[in-house]
Amino acid sequence: MTRNGADVADVVRDTIYRATLLLDDQKWEQWLDLCDDSFHYAIKSFSPEINRDMTYFQGSRKDLATMVKLLPKHNTDHSPLRRHTTVYTVDVADDGKTASAVSSFVVYQNLLDGVNSHIDAGESRLFLVGRYIDTLKLEDDQVRFIKREVRLDNRRLDKGSHWPI
Amino acid sequence: MPAKNHKQWLADPPLQPGEWVDSRVYSDPRIFEDELKNIFRRTWIPVCHESELPNLYDFRTTSIAREPIIVCRGPDNEVRAFLNVCAHRGMIIERRPSGSFLDGQPSGNPKRMTCMFHAWQYDLKGNCVYISREKEGYQDRLCKENVGLRRLRCEVKFGGFVWVSLNDNPIPLEEWCGKPFECLRKSLEAEPLEVFHYHKAIIPTNYKLWHDTNSEFYHDFMHYHNRVTGFNDAYFGRKNESFEHGHVVVGTFEVNYDKYEGFESRAALSFPYLPPNQWYMIDLFPGMNFNLRGSALRCDVVTPLAPDKVMIEFRGLGLKRDTEEERQTRVNHHNSIWGPFGRNLHEDLLGVTGQGATMLPGSEPRRILHGRRENQTIHDENGMRHYYSEWGKWMNRLPRDPAQPYLAPAAADAAE
Ligand code: FES
Ligand SMILES: [Fe+2]
Repeated sequence: MTRNGADVADVVRDTIYRATLLLDDQKWEQWLDLCDDSFHYAIKSFSPEINRDMTYFQGSRKDLATMVKLLPKHNTDHSPLRRHTTVYTVDVADDGKTASAVSSFVVYQNLLDGVNSHIDAGESRLFLVGRYIDTLKLEDDQVRFIKREVRLDNRRLDKGSHWPI
Repeated sequence: MPAKNHKQWLADPPLQPGEWVDSRVYSDPRIFEDELKNIFRRTWIPVCHESELPNLYDFRTTSIAREPIIVCRGPDNEVRAFLNVCAHRGMIIERRPSGSFLDGQPSGNPKRMTCMFHAWQYDLKGNCVYISREKEGYQDRLCKENVGLRRLRCEVKFGGFVWVSLNDNPIPLEEWCGKPFECLRKSLEAEPLEVFHYHKAIIPTNYKLWHDTNSEFYHDFMHYHNRVTGFNDAYFGRKNESFEHGHVVVGTFEVNYDKYEGFESRAALSFPYLPPNQWYMIDLFPGMNFNLRGSALRCDVVTPLAPDKVMIEFRGLGLKRDTEEERQTRVNHHNSIWGPFGRNLHEDLLGVTGQGATMLPGSEPRRILHGRRENQTIHDENGMRHYYSEWGKWMNRLPRDPAQPYLAPAAADAAE
């Protein structure tokens, strides 16, 4: 399927990769610019321990905007996160108005101030493994996220994080 | 006083004995081994919640002080606990975190706990009911009746938590912690609860440092969320109440959630009999925490792995009868603060990780101050002093000088 000479699936892929770079660089507002006003974000995981699907975090675009605004007021582990994303599938809806995409990701944490920086800073540790399940809105001039479900394999999350994944 | 030289740095602080501990209690490997033996093998641990094994033949696996444990719900609906260790040659019997024995396993039959190694089978009361080629191998020397699982003391109590002890004769559970649970008993026992959240952290720190954090609110200076939603007169009036056996309860006050942008009152979903937006906290010796913030209950259980390594399991609970919408709201209330991506938990874990970094095994012993006195209100450190006094008794060590035998604390503290 093409539109304006570009393959729609490619545009969706590009948008997911662009989001990955913006999240890595902690450019939260620019990341939210890729999200529609109706955007909903959730981090979920299934726990075989309690045999239940869990929502570790969720919020609307507005919730996320408030949260990232308040981040500087919180103490946090500033070790940068690096997401390695691979978009596996992009399925454009029959009406061409939305697309859903499944990507696999791993997140490495590049230690900075998490433990004892003299010893640990500079080391990259595997932090998270999971999938992005995205829904995007396709409009003539732009592609916007309307939903992102981050599906984590991890239930051991150690210190966790204040940042969107 | 300005910065200190080595001798000054190591000198006792101008506080009463009992108002500080020696950092070796957090770092010495011998002390750690004694803690597993003297404390964790002798007390009650809430290993899971009954809603994690809702059906007959369901099981959960866990461990206390390096001993693998299996908890299962028998055909008679009774929840029992056993060492998860085969009587034959010590294979761990069940390897999954949870599941059902209604399904057969490659080595064994439905409704049995089967050791996959040589196919010995046990029923859900822990009796050995099958030894493969029994007569051929053991003739008349040993039979099923001679072997069986090691059964453990197990009770479902205080809101459906499953309490297990490796000790055949522990202090009765009601006597152990019934009194500290009194403040929440009606709320937790009015109707069945259900676990909706589980995650774990393995942190390079001593387990007691996590419990210390849970036992004091002075560290609210680290939590922006708590400062803006909590710091008021009622907050500073909140009492830390000490109970026998080293337990502490932090009394309630009304939290103003709407002072933090994006947060909402929790009044509509308060637990039964709990006034709106109240917040109670029960800290149990030797490292368990029950924390009810109005609409969501949190429970932390520590599993010490080394002097400088602890696993903390975090659970969130709501009411079993919650509608889907109510549950989602409770989950949000729980996780926006206490989830792995929430506002406070990350800060708490950073705090104890930082303490762990300065108290590695072999590091120079130093004084850790527990000496704040504020009429036993929220920023008083009486909760920790109470804990370490109990710890000293169980360990027969003096917390401020752990090479010395335990001595009762000074009168000032005894009065608490
Ligand atoms: S070790 Fe369990 S049957 Fe042999
Ligand atoms: Fe805290």
